[in-house]
Amino acid sequence: MPRVNGPLIVQSDKTLLLEVDHERADDCRRAIAPFAELERAPEHIHTYRVTPLGLWNARAAGHDAEQVVDALVQYSRYPVPHALLVDIAETMDRYGRLTLTKHPAHGLVLTTTDRPVLEEVLKSKRIAPLVGARLDPDTVAVHPSERGQIKQTLLKLGWPAEDLAGYVDGEAHPIELLEDGWTLRPYQKQAVENFWHGGSGVVVLPCGAGKTLVGAGSMAQAKSTTLILVTNTVSARQWKHELVKRTSLTEDEIGEYSGTRKEIRPVTIATYQVLTTKRKGVYPHLELFDSRDWGLIVYDEVHLLPAPVFKFTADLQARRRLGLTATLVREDGRESDVFSLIGPKRFDAPWKEIEAQGYIAPADCVEVRVNLTDSERLAYATAETEEKYRFCATTETKRKVTEAIVRRFAGQQILVIGQYIDQLDELGEHLNAPVIKGETSNAQREKLFDAFREGEISVLVVSKVANFSIDLPEATVAIQVSGTFGSRQEEAQRLGRVLRPKADGHQAHFYSVVARDTIDQDFAAHRQRFLAEQGYAYRIVDADEILAES
Amino acid sequence: MSPEAHSAPRSLAEALRARDDASLAALLRSRPDLITPVPTDLTQLATRAGTRASVLRALERLDRFALQTAEALAVAPDPASYDTLLGLMAGDAGDETVARALPQAVATLREQALVWGDDDRLRLVRTARELLAPSPQHPSPTGLGPTVQEATSGMSPGRIQEIVTTAGLPSTHDSVSAVAALTGLFTHRKKMAKLLAGAPEAAREVLSRLVWGPPYGQVTADPAAHLRWLLDRGLLLPTAPGTVVLPREVALHLREGRAHRAPEPLPPAVAPAATHSPQVVDATAAGQAYTALATVEELLKDWDEGGPAVLRAGGLSVRDLKRTAVALDVSEPVAAFWAELAYAAGLIASDGEADERYAATPAYDEWLELPPAERWARLARAWLAATRTPGLVGGRDAKDRTLSALGPGLDRSAAPEVRHRVLSLLAALPQGAAPDTESVLARLRWERPLRGAQRDGARDDDLRSRLARWTLSEAESLGVTGRGALSSQGRALLGAPAATGAPATPGADSAEPTGPGDKLPVHHHRAPERLVPLSPAEQGVAAAAAARLLAPLLPEPLDHVLLQADLTAVAPGPLRRPLADMLGVLADVESKGGATVYRFTPASVRRALDAGRTAADLHAFLAEHSRTPVPQPLAYLIDDVARRHGHLRVGAASAYVRCDDDALLNEILADKRAAALRLRRLAPTVLAAPSDPATLLEGLRAMGYAPAAESAEGDVLITRAHAHRTAPRTAPEPVPDGPPPPDATLLTAAIRAIRAGDLAATTPRKPVGEPLAGGELPRTSAAETLATMQAAVLTGDSVWIGYVNAEGAASQRVIAPIRVEGGFVTAYDHTADEVRTFPLHRITGVAELADD
Repeated sequence: MPRVNGPLIVQSDKTLLLEVDHERADDCRRAIAPFAELERAPEHIHTYRVTPLGLWNARAAGHDAEQVVDALVQYSRYPVPHALLVDIAETMDRYGRLTLTKHPAHGLVLTTTDRPVLEEVLKSKRIAPLVGARLDPDTVAVHPSERGQIKQTLLKLGWPAEDLAGYVDGEAHPIELLEDGWTLRPYQKQAVENFWHGGSGVVVLPCGAGKTLVGAGSMAQAKSTTLILVTNTVSARQWKHELVKRTSLTEDEIGEYSGTRKEIRPVTIATYQVLTTKRKGVYPHLELFDSRDWGLIVYDEVHLLPAPVFKFTADLQARRRLGLTATLVREDGRESDVFSLIGPKRFDAPWKEIEAQGYIAPADCVEVRVNLTDSERLAYATAETEEKYRFCATTETKRKVTEAIVRRFAGQQILVIGQYIDQLDELGEHLNAPVIKGETSNAQREKLFDAFREGEISVLVVSKVANFSIDLPEATVAIQVSGTFGSRQEEAQRLGRVLRPKADGHQAHFYSVVARDTIDQDFAAHRQRFLAEQGYAYRIVDADEILAES
Repeated sequence: MSPEAHSAPRSLAEALRARDDASLAALLRSRPDLITPVPTDLTQLATRAGTRASVLRALERLDRFALQTAEALAVAPDPASYDTLLGLMAGDAGDETVARALPQAVATLREQALVWGDDDRLRLVRTARELLAPSPQHPSPTGLGPTVQEATSGMSPGRIQEIVTTAGLPSTHDSVSAVAALTGLFTHRKKMAKLLAGAPEAAREVLSRLVWGPPYGQVTADPAAHLRWLLDRGLLLPTAPGTVVLPREVALHLREGRAHRAPEPLPPAVAPAATHSPQVVDATAAGQAYTALATVEELLKDWDEGGPAVLRAGGLSVRDLKRTAVALDVSEPVAAFWAELAYAAGLIASDGEADERYAATPAYDEWLELPPAERWARLARAWLAATRTPGLVGGRDAKDRTLSALGPGLDRSAAPEVRHRVLSLLAALPQGAAPDTESVLARLRWERPLRGAQRDGARDDDLRSRLARWTLSEAESLGVTGRGALSSQGRALLGAPAATGAPATPGADSAEPTGPGDKLPVHHHRAPERLVPLSPAEQGVAAAAAARLLAPLLPEPLDHVLLQADLTAVAPGPLRRPLADMLGVLADVESKGGATVYRFTPASVRRALDAGRTAADLHAFLAEHSRTPVPQPLAYLIDDVARRHGHLRVGAASAYVRCDDDALLNEILADKRAAALRLRRLAPTVLAAPSDPATLLEGLRAMGYAPAAESAEGDVLITRAHAHRTAPRTAPEPVPDGPPPPDATLLTAAIRAIRAGDLAATTPRKPVGEPLAGGELPRTSAAETLATMQAAVLTGDSVWIGYVNAEGAASQRVIAPIRVEGGFVTAYDHTADEVRTFPLHRITGVAELADD
């Protein structure tokens, strides 16, 4: 029987199943990675998905349809449906029919290699206000201010434009990496290179894989004034700290633009929050974008980019943009805006791969199911719908289990993460540990973090303020007692807390304490699915086991 | 064949008579309409072969070159010699290719009885000639105008003489010879060249504009000099005021004798667009064949418990088609294709119930039991032969009604033939070669050109082209082709010999007639260049052969899956049926294709438990079929769901007995008399019964207890006769036994009518002819009626008539005629008590009343 024994199975819904234990799996992974998004990476079969965005990403990276088809045909175990191949070729063919270029006389223009396509898009009501005069049958002028808008709209119409209009260099500013005793890891170098070569785009790296350094590396490439957008003040300080340590930049060259301080320096770190603050219907801090001739804009945690920032970003298309994220999954489904406004994905490395290279620590993920007591069950059953989650997430039993786990890992650095302040306060009290929450001042926060880092404190209770971008290198155990409903990316962030490589080679542990037979369990399932799909499978244990052990 | 038959036939019938049986059989095979019904003799056959409908049908089925040949014959003299025809087709220069192909074309026309006569006197049957010859209303595809003779038929002799003289010919005494002389000049190449050499430049330009047709042009009343030059010499002839035509002979001279601008003696080659290795093609096709089977099964499974309703007009509603398309994860046209395929294969049908729905047929269950390759062969065979065309679904018919899938109006009789032809063309390509669609369409258009259709422009919309496109895409979906090329199994399905790898010789080089000497179309001259559609028996054999080829290519069903910690199971290929069925219950299918991805959810596990499996069964099942260790979260999930499964129990009871005293309930249960009540203990203090509360109460009372009924709130119900009311109702309408009593007016009228009728019926009358039976209308001849009426006018007597009114109701009347004129009798009608006019022709007869 002439069976082609490849590692890849092409499904009719355009997912690709890759058998990881197959001898040709590695070659195959490399061949399909440019155009297929890794969707799930559990232990045996990885699932990739071929989407129009992925195919256009591949086109943007210089791959053509033939390479894609070849990769599929070459590695596929079963014959690839002809229709799928045709569809791939047609989809990829749509990219680059329209290009945005800079015309010496007319400024920004949209040109086409296929006149009917231009006619089609010009007929669209959404395109009409964005374009100017028809310069010749194949060219139409575009208002320079609408560069982002038109790209966004064209993508929605299914004719993504290739942006070749180039970038302004911005105000030059010397920045060098200070590689004393450390160097960029190979994948970080690769990421910087891919980004710089592509002009703008997104780098996808797992938490703890050193995204800040990719940012620093890119700044050293750009050697120009840089605006860095981050999620919160702690994160801003972290960036500043890291940049001072890793580059030739000094404290004075880096400004912080946040709720408390409004410094504009050659390198300015601003929070999303301050940018999106609205006063009397206007965004007063928008002038930040125009306050300097920025040469590079870095978006940290792109998947959290708030909608207004997308709007400002649309106006910044002439500047180089670097997006950094652990996942392109957005709970609001605005992946296509990331693609059209910040840029295509330029680099991507799955967690497991970086873990295998030893840059992040392997983790043992455990879900602990606790039983509600009979009276809690009755109370849960009668609780209002909106109160239900809070009720089951803060059940009394969780506290006991958490205490048991903390006892079990006594001496290690332990983070307890939760959603509800009451619960956290109570836990802090019982565990005799400090609590970091929204009202904790930044100074206090940093002090506590430092103490935790130094090992002066071994247990820290944090609310969701610590979800992002804080660096806790020595946390080896994380205990999650409640979360923001079913948010997948929050789960990823939290796991990221413990995935940093440990000095002593301790195994990382991630505990999720969940109330059985309640919506807490359903949310947990949803949250964990993302991690299970990343290869971090949970073990599920009953609370009794944990309690019995201690 | 027989030499004595060579005395030139004088008619088509004679020509047919001279043909041997084989050649007659060839005629009847290609024109089957000629034998329905079977003609009595050859004369009748010839007549029928000459009917317009039949000739049209035959012309429509000619390939382009044969049609061009027929068109050329239609503009040639009748009869024409083979050489004349050759001249028209190949031109003065003598196109070699045309010359080689022409005998074949003539043979075709002869075989089809469109042309008869030997090579010196080829005659196109008259109807064909009329259909193909140019006329102002129907310009010929040749673009030629009428002959000089035809164009000058209405012209004055003086004018003809003028033209002849100006053209440089001696004048003649009559028009006929003048026209002949002019024709002679125009057909003489050298003299004509000389004549045209003297033409002004502008005149030559006009000629070149008209030469390839349309040959008609407009001129003003006072034409310019160069036009006048042409008109004077007869190079343009007037047809109507202001219109001139280029005579056929002149055009032919300018065309160097060619009737067609571009004769197409050779069928356009079907160009391969890509060539894949035959293994890839077969494997792709097999993969698609497997998908086809899976899709049809899925469709039927989706419809298993009651398919969609049948529309009143027949077919699937748009909504149901959409739903099915979503269920199959395909587009709607594709869903329509699969539904139609299952329908054509007899796997689904309407259930014919009052509430009509689609459902699987018993044949489906049989089909399911077949090995996969044979299942595919059944589908493919049904597809090949079906006249139903799913491609039309969603379009509109002539009455602007939407054509629905499985509905009426989707049959196109040309479909199987086009399908077969397209696949045959693919079969003629080397193995693994995928054709360029356009070249296939071009070839089909050559083989069956649309008469009168534009040669260029929007011509892809004709039914055959659309059918061909659908064929190509459907063949790919079904796995008859793979990556556009015909697979080995597809080839076998057609009954084509396995390709050798070399291109099959196009056309019939080997056995074509070698020259004009072939007098009669003899069957063996036609090489079997085409694959003929197979008979049903042969189809069976071919399908079996295809199934045998396909079987080893289909993926072997697997007996294992890979379980993963993200609660999915991946079957890296098709699964054995029991395994697939079980997994289908235990997990939800998430993704299909070469592999199947299943996801375990609490709901899916519960479904398996509901189906009667225990947690232990499920663990064992997974352990047995997983090639990898069962992940802990999955095992935990099963146990967790099983733990809660059946925790709550639900049953039906219509009454209960409740008592705080367990002992009393024990006593009741122990009592034999209670057996009939079928009481069941649900809890120490509760008994449930399937009977209604009233019966239960009766039963318990009969046993000597004093039970009280309880309301839903638990209160004791006080039993008292309670009044039962209906919803508001209107009182019934009275239904009287007879009609209401009549009033005086009605009575008077009635009595008068009754008396008059009585008079008519009882008045003794003179017997006329035969005595009339009671109630029968009098019958007399029209003359007699008239005479009797006229007599009655004179005498003033009343007469008795039979009368049929405009609604056809017959009646008897007694009338006193007053006058008879213009076919009407005006008379006093005793029955109606008024003067009326009766049309004579409505009077069936008349009888005098008996004197008394």
